[in-house]
Amino acid sequence: MLDLRILLADSPRKRVLLLGNEAIARGILEAGIGVVTTYPGTPASEIGDSISEIAADAGIYMEYSVNEIVAAEVAGGAANSGVRALTAMKHVGLNVASDFVMTLAYTGVRSGFVIVTADDPECYSSQNEQDNRFYALLANLPCLEPSDPQEAKDMTISAIEISEKLELPVLLRTTTRISHTRGPVTYGKLTKPVLKGEFVKDVKRLVMVPANSRPKHPILLKSMEKAKEISETSPYNKITRKGKSGELGIISSSAAYNYAVEAANLLGLDVSIMKLGMTHPLPEKFIGEFLKGHAKIIVVEELEPYLELHVKAIAKDYAPNIKIYGKIGNSYFPRDGELSTRIVAVGLAKMASKKLPINFEVIDEKYAEVSRNLPSRPPILCAGCPHRASFYVMKRVAGEKAVYSTDIGCYALGAAPPLRTGDMLTCMGASIGAAQGISKATDAPTFAIIGDSTFFHAGIPGLINAVYNNHKIIVTVLDNLTTAMTGHQPHPGTGWTGMHKPAEKIMIEKVAEGCGVKCVKVVNPFNLKEAEAVLKEAMKHSGPSVIVFRAPCALMVARERRRKGTELLACKITDKCTNCMACVKLLGCPAIIFEEGRVSISETLCNACGLCASVCPYNAIECAK
Amino acid sequence: MKEFNMVLAGVGGQGILLSAEILGTAAIKEGLNVRVSEIHGMAQRGGAVVSTVRIGEKAYAPTVLDGQADVLLGFEPFETLRNLKFASEKTLVIMSEEKIPPTELTAKMMPYPSLKEVEEKIYSFTKNLIIVDAPKLAKKAGSPLTQNMVLLGALAATGKVPIKTESLLDAIKELIPAKYLDINVKAFKLGYEFVKKAATKS
Repeated sequence: MLDLRILLADSPRKRVLLLGNEAIARGILEAGIGVVTTYPGTPASEIGDSISEIAADAGIYMEYSVNEIVAAEVAGGAANSGVRALTAMKHVGLNVASDFVMTLAYTGVRSGFVIVTADDPECYSSQNEQDNRFYALLANLPCLEPSDPQEAKDMTISAIEISEKLELPVLLRTTTRISHTRGPVTYGKLTKPVLKGEFVKDVKRLVMVPANSRPKHPILLKSMEKAKEISETSPYNKITRKGKSGELGIISSSAAYNYAVEAANLLGLDVSIMKLGMTHPLPEKFIGEFLKGHAKIIVVEELEPYLELHVKAIAKDYAPNIKIYGKIGNSYFPRDGELSTRIVAVGLAKMASKKLPINFEVIDEKYAEVSRNLPSRPPILCAGCPHRASFYVMKRVAGEKAVYSTDIGCYALGAAPPLRTGDMLTCMGASIGAAQGISKATDAPTFAIIGDSTFFHAGIPGLINAVYNNHKIIVTVLDNLTTAMTGHQPHPGTGWTGMHKPAEKIMIEKVAEGCGVKCVKVVNPFNLKEAEAVLKEAMKHSGPSVIVFRAPCALMVARERRRKGTELLACKITDKCTNCMACVKLLGCPAIIFEEGRVSISETLCNACGLCASVCPYNAIECAK
Repeated sequence: MKEFNMVLAGVGGQGILLSAEILGTAAIKEGLNVRVSEIHGMAQRGGAVVSTVRIGEKAYAPTVLDGQADVLLGFEPFETLRNLKFASEKTLVIMSEEKIPPTELTAKMMPYPSLKEVEEKIYSFTKNLIIVDAPKLAKKAGSPLTQNMVLLGALAATGKVPIKTESLLDAIKELIPAKYLDINVKAFKLGYEFVKKAATKS
């Protein structure tokens, strides 16, 4: 793994291989940003993680905030006190932060403020694939879209400059293929961050009561006119290739631009290409002139037809007879999922009536032949994961009839067979609220399954609601003492901060008691008997109950063991085994495998949690623990 | 130079992303343009992992086009098969013998297919196949966790990747903690020698 101290190097023109998110972290140092906040979420996590590793050395303040809106508020407060700030989140995080951001557009900022939104076309690690460029449109905020790690770094600095020029927050929108692509990045100069500013009181500007906010709206619209001027001359909006005939023009941005260039090369198209890096507000005149110079335009973009809608509107004034191809009406490209060079090449070939030099159908047919009956390999709970024990107990006590309202985190993987403990999942914290409605509308025992970090993020208001309105739900907090799914970031229950400083732990059980929950229990899920008893008791309770299943993440345990050099004795199947398959059917542990007609345990995968030994009906599994 | 396209495929936890990062870092050391794609998060929890490395002036996208891989580095037989859509008759497939049965297979009480069966499926795409007993060589090097280095060593020995072996070793030194460096370099060398020896035999 990259030693992140390389980001601190005071050596302009140094060329380094960086992940898009690491490049943004370098941009933070070059832009002199003093406050960085985040709530971890794929594909944005490494921005905060990189900064967390180097913040103390770089002399900047970093925190993993409790959720995205608090992260935005902390950074927004700093940016209104003369300190440059950045907050980073995944696309759905901006839904959480949007309440603050929509009105921060009215107050504006005094120092540069960048909001990074990392979108996830194809839902690689997300519950939806919303296109956050529409937030720029909705909130009236400038938006920059990098297409590679170098631009990701450069645009972080430019976003600060634009933000200070307009006194507005600026969105920096990446996607998975930008945030999680490594590429060469050439460094610029570091800027020493300013950590202390001044909060200048100005009620008319900063206190958004109706009388003050009403006049701020036209001011914001005026600022966006200025932003449009910036966009017209922005070096990020450019024509990167001029066609000979002037017949065909491509307009593109972000990752889609890379596919468009490669697809045009593949097809040998005579085409002009316009690359847009500042995509809100769009450079109307610049695009208008480009339209005038061509007979046909094809808009290549991922997800929603954001550019296409604007280009069509601009065409009405500049080139009303031009033909524009994209996703609306004539679907040359899909509106869902991630694009690829193949998808773009197929769309371009169809539109330009060109033959593809690669016969994809033949590849598909051959591939269908070899991939038929290939077993799938979805992500699963790790061997030794404490969530597996929690789910096993829930299933054993409450069975199939219970409804399991689950949440965002590793434990969402419990929805898969054989555990099947996930019946509804939408967004952070929704497990607790949705469970209340389910419980009200049915007579089924209703569980809310939520992780420790998610509980702090958005679970608490729902819990208070359950107490006050006396909803009979069982809230199970699967506390593995970390934010596991996104890479083990700290949260308020872990006892340490993003600056690697110790902090007083906030205990989930105390929070639950403070919220007025009468039945609160803490139990280690690997202690099956006790866990079962606790669960049975909670199910009898007439109102909401909270059970904290507490055991550390198996990956942390394994890492700690490697660090200490402790040897691990994997669980072993003895000759008492009848091959009944109970362990396989009940647990779905990846370390339990089927070899030469018999169940066995993989020594390399087993983490020796002993759960299989506890559930084996024939006591045929030995575990040293 | 035409771009060099490579696909690395296996299971979360096998060190695929680190291998891709080593290749990318080595390319940078030689002043080349490079793109590496990664998928994080969900995909790491024992799921299928694919990473791509592209080297060359005209490499814009990080991802590889179907049928265009110069090398498919398979860390696991099933995952090698799953990514054959990137292969053509020109592709070199280097595959580890390390079988990791997906839970679906175990639940259905189905045996993992033999290497022979896997081999035949690969042959329907390309005859250029090198199978490496990476688990054995990694164990010999000192840790089963060094299978990725065995495969990188094997790759270096084929001469297919447009990067010097010293640059790869430099990148390994840069990216692997000092504590584990020796066994990783040893694993790399064992993979390298394995392919060199096989080449002299045939």
